[in-house]
Amino acid sequence: MKFVFFHLMPYPYLPDDFDEKHPSPSLTFPNKFFDRELGNRLYHRYLDELEYAEKLGFDGIAVNEHHQSAYGLMPSPNLMAAALARRTERAQIMVLGNAIGVRGNPLRVAEEIAMLDHLSSGRVVSGFVRGIGWEYFAQSVNPTRSRDRFNEAHDLIIKAWTSDEPFQWVSPNYEYRYVNLWPRPVQEPHPPIYIPGAGSTETMQFVAEHGYTYMSVYAPTPLVRRWFDGHRQAVEELGMEHDPGKSAFSVPIYVAETDEKAHREGRQHIEWLFHRGLKQSFPQVYPPGYMSPGSMRGLLMSGMKPYTETSYEELLAGGYAVVGSPETVAARLSELQAQLGFGQLIGLFSIGDITAEEMNRSMELFASGVMPALRPLGVAGTVPAAS
Amino acid sequence: MTQVTTTEAGRDVSSPPTEDSLELAGGRVHLLRGGKGAPVLFLHAAGGAGQWHPFHDLLSRGFEVFAPDHPGFGGSDEFPELEGVDDLVFHYLDVIERLGLERPHIVGASFGGWVAAELAVARPDLIDSLTLLGPAGLRLPAHPLADLFLMTPDQVVDALFKDPAKASVLFPGEPDVDGILAAYRDMTALARFSWHPFLNNPKLERRLHRITARTLVACPSEDKVIPVAHGARYAELIPQARFAQVEDCGHAMYFERPQEFAQVVTEFLAEAGAETQLSGASR
Repeated sequence: MKFVFFHLMPYPYLPDDFDEKHPSPSLTFPNKFFDRELGNRLYHRYLDELEYAEKLGFDGIAVNEHHQSAYGLMPSPNLMAAALARRTERAQIMVLGNAIGVRGNPLRVAEEIAMLDHLSSGRVVSGFVRGIGWEYFAQSVNPTRSRDRFNEAHDLIIKAWTSDEPFQWVSPNYEYRYVNLWPRPVQEPHPPIYIPGAGSTETMQFVAEHGYTYMSVYAPTPLVRRWFDGHRQAVEELGMEHDPGKSAFSVPIYVAETDEKAHREGRQHIEWLFHRGLKQSFPQVYPPGYMSPGSMRGLLMSGMKPYTETSYEELLAGGYAVVGSPETVAARLSELQAQLGFGQLIGLFSIGDITAEEMNRSMELFASGVMPALRPLGVAGTVPAAS
Repeated sequence: MTQVTTTEAGRDVSSPPTEDSLELAGGRVHLLRGGKGAPVLFLHAAGGAGQWHPFHDLLSRGFEVFAPDHPGFGGSDEFPELEGVDDLVFHYLDVIERLGLERPHIVGASFGGWVAAELAVARPDLIDSLTLLGPAGLRLPAHPLADLFLMTPDQVVDALFKDPAKASVLFPGEPDVDGILAAYRDMTALARFSWHPFLNNPKLERRLHRITARTLVACPSEDKVIPVAHGARYAELIPQARFAQVEDCGHAMYFERPQEFAQVVTEFLAEAGAETQLSGASR
């Protein structure tokens, strides 16, 4: 098992009347609620936590991209990765990912990741995401072109990293007369690629064909299982052996000394994440054209409740989050591993309004009391758990 | 509809429209047609694809009305190669040609009004008259449009109607999965053509002087989606334009006040048609 410490960098200081007055922390939540002083301290605290994760033995430290939102304070994940690159030595620096669906200039992403690969001496992992629906409002990018822009940007970036001669690029959304990347990345042929999946069979196929890592998003275990199975089948249908390390399970995790204490403290943070951080209207998440007709039908038929209507107990039972003592968390994650077959765990420890003290303790308890038990699981060559 | 059944003796019972389709190079266009008289090409708004409303029915008592669904809307095919309103102008030139319409009247509502204005700019010679109902299309930063893309269904109703009680016409009951998917498809097509720039062509204002057709701009008095200033600006910049306002009505326009909108449009078209005949006779 490979362990990734993922930070969302939320802005937790919401006004007392947030629940009644504000439909979402994203897009339209006024930035007057961003306190400059508190916000400044948050950035430094959060970067400290990412650095500390390396010391505790996490294999990777991960950041991501969100715009115009208190849900996550990283409009530029590459800046965060740069801040970490020269302060760490061993862990992979994982950008999960750049939202190439909403970026205007994908070549800039290719350049920045290549630079990061040098700053980190070959430790960069490059995730590519489409960006959440509201970000198409926030960046004035047409969501009906999201998938095409994503695919074209991906192809362009990979070619820019791997080509050793200048070339011309022409695709419906992008035209470059000269592509000639300086610097080339350290890693050959290029940094590892991670792609999130949420049920689209096209994505499973795409990830399988390229040998990328498939990451889950927060969803009930049976759904995640269907996605991971779909990805594994896509790999096997290509005549290859599936490496569990290429299936990465993302989940919020809170650990305290006892179950009782973990729930007493953790409930509020989990509820913050799912009931406030992810409070968003349907059109905000699914602007027109963001979903293909087939995916939209699947979503409507799945009967999945909005996060805000899913209770703490349901979130835990459904596998959206894992909370407890080290023993409980290890047992629960082992159980999920047996069901899902992942070989990589992307743990979100920066849950909502968690305090710095709770956070440090949760990370430490995870590193000392959970990691050792899970380490042997999900390694290539081991027999996949029976279903 | 009892108020309007006496407009023409003997024709107080309306006939249903005919469903028709056109095969173009890029796909199939679904359309409804009905009535007799000079041809009217009706270009629908974000909502209203595939619907023959009492408004169309009233219009069809004096004119032959053609109401196609825009590409990607209602029963029309996707036409994925069409990316913007400039493409729609060429699309509708094809439609006019294929329907064999001789100098049709063009009537467009909201988004369809924008398409109509662009069509009249591109081919002023091709049309008899132009009617813009609460038209989109202009970039007026001082008068921003409401963001229908970001609204929940309840918010859409409040934004569209002066009297939300009348919304049942447009949104009958709780939609099923297919209904939601159909609405999502319409909105997806709208977004394809107008997400950015948002429902406008910044170059349109300085091209409006090219329109030679007699023009009516009719706006609802209580438009919470497209401020009336947009219609007023059109009327100011189109050489032969007149401006009319329909009172006590929201952006839903003919969905909210079908009789009033049908009346103002019918009167204008009758006048415009009469003048065309007159000038044609004197040539």
